[in-house]
Amino acid sequence: MHRRSLLATATVFLAAPALLRAADPDGPLKIRELYEKTGDMSQLALGLEGERVTFEGYMAPPLKADAQFFVLTKRPMAVCPFCESSAEWPSDILAIYTKRVIDVIPFNVGIESRGVLEIGEYKDPETGFVSMVRLTDATYSD
Amino acid sequence: MKKTALVSTLALTASMAAAQDQDLPQASSEWFTAGQTTIQEILDRQPNTNTARNVIVLVADGNGVGTNYATRLFVGQQEGGLGEDHVLPYETPEWYSALVKTYNINAQTPDSAPTAGAMNTGVKQRFNLINLGEDAVTGDCRTEDANKLTTFAEIVSGMDKSVGIVSTARLTHATPAAVYAKTAYRNWEDAIEAPGDEGAEAAELGELCPNSKDIATQLIDAMEAGTIDLAMGGGRRHFVPEGTETDEGGEGRRADGTNLIQRAQDLGAQYAWDTATAQELTLDGSSPILALFEDSHMEYEADRADEEEPSIAEMTRMAIEALSTNENGYYLEVEAGRVDHANHDGNAYRTLTDGAAFAEAVRVADEMTDDEDTLIIVTADHEHAIAFNGYCGRGSDILGLCYEVSNDGIEHSDQPNMAADGKPYTVLGYLNGTGSVLKEPTEGGNEWTGSRPDVSQEDATDMDYIQQALIPMSSETHSGEDVAVYAKGPYAHLFDGTLEQNVIFHVMHHAVTADDAAE
Repeated sequence: MHRRSLLATATVFLAAPALLRAADPDGPLKIRELYEKTGDMSQLALGLEGERVTFEGYMAPPLKADAQFFVLTKRPMAVCPFCESSAEWPSDILAIYTKRVIDVIPFNVGIESRGVLEIGEYKDPETGFVSMVRLTDATYSD
Repeated sequence: MKKTALVSTLALTASMAAAQDQDLPQASSEWFTAGQTTIQEILDRQPNTNTARNVIVLVADGNGVGTNYATRLFVGQQEGGLGEDHVLPYETPEWYSALVKTYNINAQTPDSAPTAGAMNTGVKQRFNLINLGEDAVTGDCRTEDANKLTTFAEIVSGMDKSVGIVSTARLTHATPAAVYAKTAYRNWEDAIEAPGDEGAEAAELGELCPNSKDIATQLIDAMEAGTIDLAMGGGRRHFVPEGTETDEGGEGRRADGTNLIQRAQDLGAQYAWDTATAQELTLDGSSPILALFEDSHMEYEADRADEEEPSIAEMTRMAIEALSTNENGYYLEVEAGRVDHANHDGNAYRTLTDGAAFAEAVRVADEMTDDEDTLIIVTADHEHAIAFNGYCGRGSDILGLCYEVSNDGIEHSDQPNMAADGKPYTVLGYLNGTGSVLKEPTEGGNEWTGSRPDVSQEDATDMDYIQQALIPMSSETHSGEDVAVYAKGPYAHLFDGTLEQNVIFHVMHHAVTADDAAE
């Protein structure tokens, strides 16, 4: 994980390969397509910066009530008592800033979220959540 | 007289059957000749009663009989075969094997701490604690002193052997910790906590449990004492003070402000934290080795980049090269810790890719050692709530859909089996976990409802797919089902039948002390 420097609290960085687009080029993107295994941003991600795009994933339990922000995880955010001694974010998540106050969707129901892809460090003023990549002005549905 | 006649008749029948094997209609079948070959290989197997100079235990965490079955198919299919007939490196006839009962003293469903402890001390232990006797209480540090057990590492260190640990999990995690640590709670990786309502002030804790130490400190203590000579894995954050940046820009978690990496280096240990620094290690046994490749667990094999961190097979190779410089021999425990974690996630893809990486580590260990003087044991600590559907035709992708059996061919038909809900289903599933088909109500109440999502072969074989499960839980669970143990080398033949897990220690101990016992 050499270049995947963790920032304090919850930094967003994304593991896994930048794969070629799936058979359906218009289908939702997968979170893993954003990064190379080394942690570097993929060419695909860099090419989509500023574009309105759709990602699939799962809504992690929100950090606060009545928020316009949630974290999209590539797999349901399992809490494994025998893996981690304290709750912590996985290393492969995407921050979602929504147009409206969110309605919570159970953490293990697959959803799609569409918004403008932003790349670069941003600290959420309300939660202190630090993200390196996010969707803004986003909508979502299960 | 009647009985004698019956025995004679049976003997004659057996003799005739043997003489006529080649005349049987099935005699030309490859299955038949392969079966005969296997029998001959087992007949040729001779018990090895040499004293073991070296002992290597390779544990795939959570790799019970079911998970191992899935890995077998996965590896076979990755190599282009149908999968079912694949043979993993430790499944050949030269390996002895047995089933292992994994329960803990007080738990039908075990966790990795007492199970690894059983293998390292020879006695079953209590849930969530490591290497303490049966009167210890989980989470109560006051019960540690009177219950500390002697580990296999301490025993063989007394025989001037070297000891090493390799893990893809944190080195402070349960399975590697069981080689060197004694603790009332497995999660005390960088600090201990006061029992019950006693309060957690450090000063009070010192009075309550003056001899209790966190697991990371115990590793460096063991390195200083000479009972650990090599440790490679993850878990860097538990060795670095709070507020101090780690090698990759993370932050340490030690509230006591101790830098254990610095302490190890001050003791003369070599330190590595990525592939490049690992390649610079001197593997001549002249100094201890501490390698911490991640702040937490190492990456899953599916997500690992070679230039960032070594594979479990590469770490195993480095460990054997370093430890084998001791002419008195060594004890090495290798853990594929993340087979377990991927199972907890309900993600078969990463479970099986890490299982395949483990199998490769076994192959490397076997290739680098001599059966004449090295006892190699391959096992797991426990199984998971993993399960398999039917009736799938041969070659159905172990990650994918269960296809119908072909009546006139060997490989499955191109039609997936359909459940009563008219939807296809995967070969592999879980009894519980995040993949549950039941969803939490969003409008209040407790009526969890749902139906199975439709699933395509493309969905199911995706690396991030979560297999369908029944009972909703935030993390899939272990199960109490048996695991297998495979072994070759000195006294490997003692593994037979269905054994308690703590027997593994006794085979290791017998193998290294056999000469002494004979005197």
